[in-house]
Amino acid sequence: MLIKLLKYDLKYMIKNMSVFYILAIFFAILSRLLSLPEQSIMLKIIHKISSGCMIAMIANIIINGMIRSWVRFRDSLFKDESYLTHTLPVTKNELYDSKFIQTLIFFFVGFAVVLLSIFIAYYTPDTWNTLKDQLNLITTGFNMSTIFFIMMSIILIFLELFNAIQCGLLGIIIGYAKNNNKSAFSMLFGFVFYLISQLLVLGLVFVYGIFDSSVMELFKSATISIDVNAFKTLAIVSSTLYLSIIIIMKITCKRLLNKGVNIE
Amino acid sequence: MELLKINNLNKKFDDKYILKDINLTISNGKIIGLLGKNGAGKTTLIKIINDLLTPTSGEILIKGNKVGVETKKIISYLPERTYLNKQMKVKEILNYFADFYENFDIQKAKKLLEDLDLDINQNLSKMSKGMQEKVGLVLVMSREADLYILDEPLGGVDPATRDYILDTILSNFNENASVIISTHLISDIERILDEVIFIDNGSIAIHSNTDELRTKENASIDEIFRRMFKC
Repeated sequence: MLIKLLKYDLKYMIKNMSVFYILAIFFAILSRLLSLPEQSIMLKIIHKISSGCMIAMIANIIINGMIRSWVRFRDSLFKDESYLTHTLPVTKNELYDSKFIQTLIFFFVGFAVVLLSIFIAYYTPDTWNTLKDQLNLITTGFNMSTIFFIMMSIILIFLELFNAIQCGLLGIIIGYAKNNNKSAFSMLFGFVFYLISQLLVLGLVFVYGIFDSSVMELFKSATISIDVNAFKTLAIVSSTLYLSIIIIMKITCKRLLNKGVNIE
Repeated sequence: MELLKINNLNKKFDDKYILKDINLTISNGKIIGLLGKNGAGKTTLIKIINDLLTPTSGEILIKGNKVGVETKKIISYLPERTYLNKQMKVKEILNYFADFYENFDIQKAKKLLEDLDLDINQNLSKMSKGMQEKVGLVLVMSREADLYILDEPLGGVDPATRDYILDTILSNFNENASVIISTHLISDIERILDEVIFIDNGSIAIHSNTDELRTKENASIDEIFRRMFKC
């Protein structure tokens, strides 16, 4: 049944998000075509507009993707459509897992479209070499491989954004358990959980710093001239903490849903 | 075995009891009218049976199972509101039901929709409220369920369509299944009811065989309802 649920959740997201993916790639191609070395003022203006539109679409893919995930979750589990969702012969865990996996998939798809759009619009051997040089400079300074640096950055950004989505989902479940002002409580709880998760990560990194002086230096030192290994440790510790918080929130969401819902 | 058994069911919102100590048994092969004034607790009771509300206390058993996946396989429920995804076409909704409910007869649904002149290629958002309600009813009645629960199925439709809906209900459920119909339009459905349940202020005031109640009170169910609730 999870596969069937996922099929319909993915269809919904494709229906709502594909237009932004197509537009981002379209403007990327247009920007590329207009980025000729010698061109008229008018073409330059169109090129700038096209690049701006592509960046707007990229922002839209990230922000709209997050909002759509929350809206889909709320509509499907707590609004009119929930009359069908909760009467399907599926478990509450399957309902939640379907939304969770759908969010995860669209996160990766969105990320891939963003990278592809940037590649189409801006790739040249020169920009590629400049990027490589910059990365080498950073990674040599931090005493780590380029692949490790890129992977670590992607994982951290991904976990940070996914943590925000997860906080929103937990906020919706708790907000909609209230008898009044459900939407307002959802947003409030989502924001509070996000703040708590951020403070928790920061607090736990500080606690880790008690046992690792290089990490503690990040809290004490006013300059950037600190042990480069501290950044590596910080990235690994933060990622582990984010992952733990996401898993704990996922379990909490499932437990709350299994306790039962109260649909208006 | 009883089809539906409710023991000491209570539901309260904040400090107010919406349902108070409900005890009810429903057997197979009956059409039951769930009647009561607005806010009496009819929809609350139906929503608890369908896992849309969590009871404060008490127990509900459907064919011996607590409310959950197994009970959802055998209950076909029509809510009082339009609950289908309006972005979908009717044929997509048919496929959706066929995907999730093993007892959904898609051919029967198509036939019923054709009888009602409803186009399966039409988007739900392009349909009137009445048409959407008809689609909802067709979906529910196209399942081979053990218990059909219809919350205000006649609310948004014209009198001519009401008769068609009642005929659809009567001719589309098997003899061993039961139907619970919640409505205010008592005179319209009185002729098909085997039993009636009157709910007043969250409690069951009357649960009786329709003919026995008529004979005892020497009046129609509609008149008894009006008398009881002083309409």
